[in-house]
Amino acid sequence: MMRVIIKVSAAVLAVLTPVAAFAEATHASPRGLPYVYTKWKHFTIENGLPNNHVFAVRSNGNDLWVGTENGLALIDKRQSKVVKVWQEKDGLPFRSIAGIDVDKNTGDVWLGLFGGGLARLSGDRFDHWHQLNSGLVNDVVYDVVMEHENVWCATTAGASRFNPKTGEWAIFTEKNAPMEEIWNYAVDYDPQANKVFLAIWGSGVLEYDVATDRWQEYVDPDGEMEIDLYRDDGVNHVIVTGVTSIDGAMWVSSYFGGTRYDGRSWLGLPDIEGGLPSLFNNNVKGRSAHEAWFCSDKGAGAIVDLDPETWVQYVRDGRGGRAIVKQRLKPEDKTLTTVEVVETGVNAPHSFIVNADVEGNDVFLGTSHGLGWGVGEGYYPRLKERPLIGAAPKADVATQR
Amino acid sequence: MLARNERPPRAMRYKRALALLLVPLAWVFVHAPGRPSVRAAGKDPIYVGSHACAKCHDGAGMGHQYSKWLLGRHARAYASLSLPESRQISDLSGIPGDPHDSPMCLGCHATGSDAEPWQRDAAFHTADGVQCEKCHGPGSEYMDMEVMQNREAAMMAGLMMPAKKDCMLCHYVKGSHAAVHKRPLIDVEKAWMKIAHPTPKSASPGGPAGVGKTVSLKGPKYAGVDACGACHNTAMMNRQANRWKMTAHSRAWAVLATPKAFEIAKDKGLTGAPQQTAQCLKCHATGHGQDPGRFLASARITEGVTCEACHGPGSEYMPEAVMRDRLAARKAGLVEPTAESCMGCHQNAHGKTFDAVMAMKKIAHPMKPPMATMAKTAEFSIPPSRSGYKTPRHLAVRPDGAEVWIACEASDSLIIVDVKKRLKTAEIKVGGQPHDVAFEPDGKRAFVSNRLDDSVSAIDVACRKVTATIAVGDEPHGLVVNKSGALLFVLNSASEDISVIDLEELRELRRLKASRFPWSLALSPDGRRIVATNTLSKLVPFRQPSVSELTVIDAEKGRIADRLEAPGANLLQGVDWHPSGRFALFTLNRTKNLVPMTRIHQGWTITNGLGVAWADGRVDQVLLDEPNWYFADASDVAITPDGRLAFATSQGTNRVAVVDVERLIDLLQKASLRDRAEVIPNHLGKSAEFIVNYVETPDAPRGVAVTPDGTTAFVANQLDDSLTVIDVGSRASVARIDLGGPREVTHTRWGEKLFHSANITFQRQFACASCHPDGHVDGLTYDIEADGIGINPVDNRTLRGIYDTDPFKWEGTNPSLARQCGARLAAYFTRIQPFTPEELSAVNDYTVTIPRPPNRYRAAGAELTAAQARGKLVFERTHGADGKEIPVDNRCITCHFPPYYTDRSKRDVGSKHWLDKQGIFDVPHLNNIYDSAPYLHNGIADTLEEIWTRFNPYDTHGVTNDMTKDQLNDLIEYLKTL
Repeated sequence: MMRVIIKVSAAVLAVLTPVAAFAEATHASPRGLPYVYTKWKHFTIENGLPNNHVFAVRSNGNDLWVGTENGLALIDKRQSKVVKVWQEKDGLPFRSIAGIDVDKNTGDVWLGLFGGGLARLSGDRFDHWHQLNSGLVNDVVYDVVMEHENVWCATTAGASRFNPKTGEWAIFTEKNAPMEEIWNYAVDYDPQANKVFLAIWGSGVLEYDVATDRWQEYVDPDGEMEIDLYRDDGVNHVIVTGVTSIDGAMWVSSYFGGTRYDGRSWLGLPDIEGGLPSLFNNNVKGRSAHEAWFCSDKGAGAIVDLDPETWVQYVRDGRGGRAIVKQRLKPEDKTLTTVEVVETGVNAPHSFIVNADVEGNDVFLGTSHGLGWGVGEGYYPRLKERPLIGAAPKADVATQR
Repeated sequence: MLARNERPPRAMRYKRALALLLVPLAWVFVHAPGRPSVRAAGKDPIYVGSHACAKCHDGAGMGHQYSKWLLGRHARAYASLSLPESRQISDLSGIPGDPHDSPMCLGCHATGSDAEPWQRDAAFHTADGVQCEKCHGPGSEYMDMEVMQNREAAMMAGLMMPAKKDCMLCHYVKGSHAAVHKRPLIDVEKAWMKIAHPTPKSASPGGPAGVGKTVSLKGPKYAGVDACGACHNTAMMNRQANRWKMTAHSRAWAVLATPKAFEIAKDKGLTGAPQQTAQCLKCHATGHGQDPGRFLASARITEGVTCEACHGPGSEYMPEAVMRDRLAARKAGLVEPTAESCMGCHQNAHGKTFDAVMAMKKIAHPMKPPMATMAKTAEFSIPPSRSGYKTPRHLAVRPDGAEVWIACEASDSLIIVDVKKRLKTAEIKVGGQPHDVAFEPDGKRAFVSNRLDDSVSAIDVACRKVTATIAVGDEPHGLVVNKSGALLFVLNSASEDISVIDLEELRELRRLKASRFPWSLALSPDGRRIVATNTLSKLVPFRQPSVSELTVIDAEKGRIADRLEAPGANLLQGVDWHPSGRFALFTLNRTKNLVPMTRIHQGWTITNGLGVAWADGRVDQVLLDEPNWYFADASDVAITPDGRLAFATSQGTNRVAVVDVERLIDLLQKASLRDRAEVIPNHLGKSAEFIVNYVETPDAPRGVAVTPDGTTAFVANQLDDSLTVIDVGSRASVARIDLGGPREVTHTRWGEKLFHSANITFQRQFACASCHPDGHVDGLTYDIEADGIGINPVDNRTLRGIYDTDPFKWEGTNPSLARQCGARLAAYFTRIQPFTPEELSAVNDYTVTIPRPPNRYRAAGAELTAAQARGKLVFERTHGADGKEIPVDNRCITCHFPPYYTDRSKRDVGSKHWLDKQGIFDVPHLNNIYDSAPYLHNGIADTLEEIWTRFNPYDTHGVTNDMTKDQLNDLIEYLKTL
């Protein structure tokens, strides 16, 4: 049923979009241009990764941690080199790593193991917690994040919070949280807001206020409709795949697009009218209240400004890859306009982006065929006046896919 | 922002459907046979206090039940904790602090001691001791007269009718008590008769005369004992109210219900019941005859002759501010009675003579306790911690080399010794059980770890004063300051982590994960690395050899840098860096716990040695033992500044080995890799190649340190309260420095020496303390039986707080410690002549006084957290998730009965392993269970969770498979509080 509705919707929009594009034939000039990542480094099994399916990536200073389907890798960023790999034969408790976070205080690395529970790498040794030897609610851990001294795990049967100092485990499910479904896909902690965010398959986003122990849920007002009937009214679907909160903005990814919420207003981020390469998004990483990186099945979509709404899509093609810059040239425009196309060579090593992280000027994309590291030399946030570094788009060609 | 109720109510639809399904289920649940209606009605019973019971259960119509209780010892059970004997008993049981605060003591000396505050009515008082609800259950749901008139209904509402065997849960012979008060096992038949309080057939509920509704009058009014006790029953006020409770005054009213009182009344020509006769009440109650308006609601006639009978009605002087001003208190009505005051009632009363002076002495209740009388009997003596002993553990030389500072565990102090004069010059009080000391590089401040208090004392070296106390993790042991002086690293043994302290702000920055029971640590000469030892092996798979960790810390960043492994080793303790920075030496044991103790192979049970932790991460091991002369309990090591010699202490054999470091390293470097890995670590003949001398010391040498000029080594002799001074040049002992402990060796101290001595084992391989460092555990599973085929492996159990938890041994076949540690010990463990009866007695006396650390998950008197409170309900549950009643013998609370959380029985909980001959094991106590992993009789469960997730598949160890994961988590959070 869902597929049918999507197809019908797509067909309707396919008819309507050229009309909209025609309507903006007299397009305006872009109001500034964003930074475009043109320098990319790539890591696959050929240069040291234990597996090409990269499920998790976390940058911490000079260390870049990469979780794959069959092992963990540490990349030394100064050397741009995989310097260490751990697989089960090296003591890694389980082969598949779906989530990584680093305890900034102790330097310990926490790993969410996709089917194997939770692990900590400390002093080159692993500790292992799972359903049988600990209070972890389920061994299928999708994501892991540090909140103060607690470790939160998003699992397929609820969220677990572990305090390594006291050894106490807490479990959050439908029993004690407004969690209609318990399939937790992702977890994030916003230290500024002191809140934990859970992305839940079928239950939207749950926000946990650490100071008050209170929950706030964000769901799709359209209920279980597979299309977003009313834009900008909430999370665009209850099947949420990722969430990130930064500088007062919450970015949400789903298999039906993306959403931004600033505490007052919702902003739906669709693909066909907007800048997402695809509706199908595996995850999202926020860099600021203005910038977030969406991980889609057709490349990475970075929304880099809201005024005017501007995106850079990093996609692949037969020649390598392109960065497509899109902007809403006039507030009343229903679609974004391509304002620049930059040939980047291979950016993300594969179109299917699973995870992303940003630190400093750089961006890191975990894909189903290796890791892409966008080196942000001269990076600047949002927009600025600069000459075109890529090809100008053909006139009158509005954003379409 | 969206509110949940604005959504399409899918969840609500589910809930409705669920509700329809649950209604019939709920009916079945409520009406299940045997289920108390209290739970079915969703009501949690609460303790209402003895006064609520008294309202109906006194008077002739009820057989004076309440008065009978008042006259019995149960009513004084809490007050009796103020007796000096109680303190002796708690000392004997290793219970630190005030018995009134100990869950162990309150478990039997009070009612509802494990209840939450909300489970106690405002009228409930712990000071009532063992009252009605201790045996009959909390009364809120059955106390109504209508309910109580129907026994079945009352029992459905929670009324319990105890059997004689239930008395034994508290009244079994407790060694700690018997040693002090010398009473035999209670004759339960006689006791049952003594406290019998049958309800007459023609019962007519009645209680003590109440004050009734009155108009409160102006002026002083009687407030009752509870009002006084609010201040006067605290430790600060010497628990004066308890002292009153122990006197006949507290029973003055109740005694009027006795046949003797009726006789006296009859003799005096009085016709009514004495408790209602003014002539009796005049002296047997407080304020009798006063206008009812002169009594506050809190005053009760049942309290007899109370504080206010002598000191005057208290309402006006009872506020603390008034009482602190004696003159003001007098003005407000406080009377200071004299012997004359007593005469009004006592002179020639009932034909008895009265010595007022003696009587005043008898009821004396000073606000400050008299000087403690250190009672000592032939059978027991007070623990070392209260005998004036010092028990020096570890020491450090000041950076300028002028002084040695020694942490003294028993005296809670730091002793300072002048290096040149070789004299004790000062002693500074620090926290509880100080263990180790470290200086800042500039020597301005010193830091002492206090393992009982979970703190570090910061001391100004020049002023010799404690200037700050820093909270750290559980049971801190070793500590060291980094080279820049910015960070202090503290090893928290019980919480198994490392506190990193910012020394500028004296604030804990972070906790680093150690391995298991981290012990000691040393800073590398270049200041970049710290190596920390871990006493216990990591948790290894069942029946696998030990693997212990050396935790390497980046000393400037304050982060874990590496984790080295010492395979086959455990009890890693002392550590010191070689001045070259190429390696550190550390002490270790190699325990052969996987083979039967009958095997004499490569060192029979425990070998003792040194480890070499190389800067590049390799680890070597060598033995300090010789084939027939072992070096039991290598405890600490210090290397001379020139790197030529190392001094290693042997706590069990009272020696210091002088190691030629160059020869040791040469031996290793010339050996093949295979020999270094497999031969040398077990080779008893190698030590002769590098040990160049032994220095004899007094009892139990532990810490050792060398002066910066390299001329002198100091050794802390733990059980001699002294330092041994070793001249490095001649490698000989040149002096003994007395640290000031008493010269007398008490019975318990003697036991402590025996406990730490390897003289009791074949070839002096080990001591009791080898497997029980700090009186605790070594975390290993042993094959103790003499079968020689490796069956019946059993987990080592802690000795902390084991008194009164008999029987002993996992099979529960040893009824006493004397049996456990007597001939059996010699037959299965030590393999030479057993302790003599006198030695055995002393060892036992010491063993039972090994302190039980305070529970780290619930401070005394603290409320349970939400998770712990939920876990308590799980622990005490009587019905499973399906509503079916859990058989009594399969409930947690049945076998793990408070306050020790053992019913001291033997049970089969389905834990029999194929290596076991039988499956019935002792029910272990659960106090501080969180710090003695692994679990179950054979140590097969690494964590508490595994007991139920892996080793209880058929619900034979409690019904647990119906629990959700969060319920199990809650249960474990509660278990950690016991």
